[in-house]
Amino acid sequence: MIFNIFKKELIDTLRDRRTLMMMLVIPILIFPITLNVFVSISASFQEEAAVKTLKVGIVGDKNSYFAQQLNEIPSEMGAKKLVFFKDSASLMTELKKDSIQLGIITEKQFNQTLEAQLPARVTWYFDATEIGINERAEQYMKIIEVKAQQKRYDELEVDFRKVTPFQTSYQNIASDKKMVGQIAGGFLPYIFIAFGFIGCMYPAIDLFTGEKERGTIETLLTTPVARWQILFGKMMVVVLSGLMAASAALLGLFISIEFLDIVDNQEIMKIVHEVLSPLFIVSMFSLLFPLTIFFAGVMIPIAVYAKTFKEAQSIITPLNIVMVLPAMVGFFPGIELNLMTACIPVVNVVLATKELISGTLEFGYLALSFGVMVILALASVFVSYKQFGKETNVVS
Amino acid sequence: MIKVNALTKDFPLSRQQRKELNTEDKIARAVDNISFECHPGKVFSLLGPNGAGKTTTLRMLSTIFTPTSGTIEIAGIDAVKYPQEARKKIGFLTGSTGLYARLTPVELIDYFASLYGVPKNELESRKKYLFDLLNMHDFLGKRIGKLSTGMKQKVSICRTMIHDPEVVVFDEPTSGLDVITAENIIKLIRDCKDQNKTVIFSSHIMSEVDLLCDDLAIIHKGKIKHEGTMLDFRTTMQESNLTAEFIRIVQS
Repeated sequence: MIFNIFKKELIDTLRDRRTLMMMLVIPILIFPITLNVFVSISASFQEEAAVKTLKVGIVGDKNSYFAQQLNEIPSEMGAKKLVFFKDSASLMTELKKDSIQLGIITEKQFNQTLEAQLPARVTWYFDATEIGINERAEQYMKIIEVKAQQKRYDELEVDFRKVTPFQTSYQNIASDKKMVGQIAGGFLPYIFIAFGFIGCMYPAIDLFTGEKERGTIETLLTTPVARWQILFGKMMVVVLSGLMAASAALLGLFISIEFLDIVDNQEIMKIVHEVLSPLFIVSMFSLLFPLTIFFAGVMIPIAVYAKTFKEAQSIITPLNIVMVLPAMVGFFPGIELNLMTACIPVVNVVLATKELISGTLEFGYLALSFGVMVILALASVFVSYKQFGKETNVVS
Repeated sequence: MIKVNALTKDFPLSRQQRKELNTEDKIARAVDNISFECHPGKVFSLLGPNGAGKTTTLRMLSTIFTPTSGTIEIAGIDAVKYPQEARKKIGFLTGSTGLYARLTPVELIDYFASLYGVPKNELESRKKYLFDLLNMHDFLGKRIGKLSTGMKQKVSICRTMIHDPEVVVFDEPTSGLDVITAENIIKLIRDCKDQNKTVIFSSHIMSEVDLLCDDLAIIHKGKIKHEGTMLDFRTTMQESNLTAEFIRIVQS
């Protein structure tokens, strides 16, 4: 009997354009479209930056210290043109007008201070909202400074090695897989949770509040089917819709990575393929399955209680933030799955998935996270059952 | 056969509802200790103004609502104790019934037949009988959302009768329908009577009751104000017409 209800509700849901849009079309298309736009824009910016001639303003003439130093920097580091000003005020005016992108102002006695082998003050001016300018200034200054430093060592007849006590290097022993897991591992469960929630939302409202609003629930309740069977049949569709929306989003993301050349590094691509193994997908789904039941179990009592589609939507939509916000924990480095985090719903799923990608997941914590989510899912199903059993809720 | 004895239904009132109704009572009594019987082959009408308790009574008979107290017997089954068993015997149709707009009539009928547990071999002949009777063949494959009100009403009737119920409950079945569409319902009620089914229907339209019913009960504010045969009602009435007599009883 549950299967009959499930089958009918699934057909009904799949024929609803609004639900279909939220469940399949948007999740599949959102990543290919947004990432494509992002990649195109960023590529065009990079192209523009590569050919753009940077205008650097200097107070003085072509014989000034920075003019000479900058002229010696090869143009392979980016095209540049020097513009000379008589005073700092006119330089600043032009910089604000964006007719120059970088401005160099030195202290009045700059050359004398330099010759006296003291630190000479120099200030680089730029607009930080323009991408890449800051980095270019730092690169130029680093080259000029190293050269000036070497000159001083020579003048002082100091061996560079004698003033360099250490030869330090920092080695990262984390595997590439772990690194990818830590940096990008939070993204995958976040997508799943966000789209899983949205995927559950419309069918939950449509199958419960919608049925009340359209006046079909009364007829259904007069059939010789137990209310819990009706609830379960409908709930299965809500859960399936959530899982389908989340899977569609992941599929969209996979298509984007695979065909849009977002990841240049072949090593990372290899790791991505390794991560998206059947075992990983099964493990992730087994973690996310109780979470989706939990989502459905939270939404259904609201949908049962609400009298109109609008009312249900106005209550469930803000709930989205409460449910999905903890999923952002995956973006922060250093937060690990432990005894405490394994007991926090949503957070535990995100961290467990993240560690699953990194290959650092401990079975005990995984079992605890799974147990917590199963208990919550059962509790939410029970609340749904109680709410659906209330005759004043079901029949308006 | 329907036997109703000392049936009462209370609804809890929320603080908001108490405020709106300007009452201190924590419950509202929708149906107050009513008893009546409906017999096979006869049409019983529950007549009353809006808010009298007709729909609540019929919802209790259909086991959508559980009574606060009292007993209901449907075709020999205690409907309070065994609601699922009782539902197998009931066909339920209301004027406000919606249909699943995204399904076709065939899909909808198959769905309800499966819920009522109609055996597959019986289902095909039953469907053929009802589709022929209601002349539904032209629109069986169309989505219900695209059908006219009359076509939808035929689908509703077919859905109600697909499991060949012994007891048929109609809650204001013609409300909101034009006379042509309402005629389908009138015909259905007569057919049910001819097939020796027990029929109960609620209405607030005296002419409709006069046209169809054998027995009637007038309900007002949850209490039965009059019960008897339609023949007795006509012969003993104190007013010049049925509607005036109905109003007199309700206001007495």
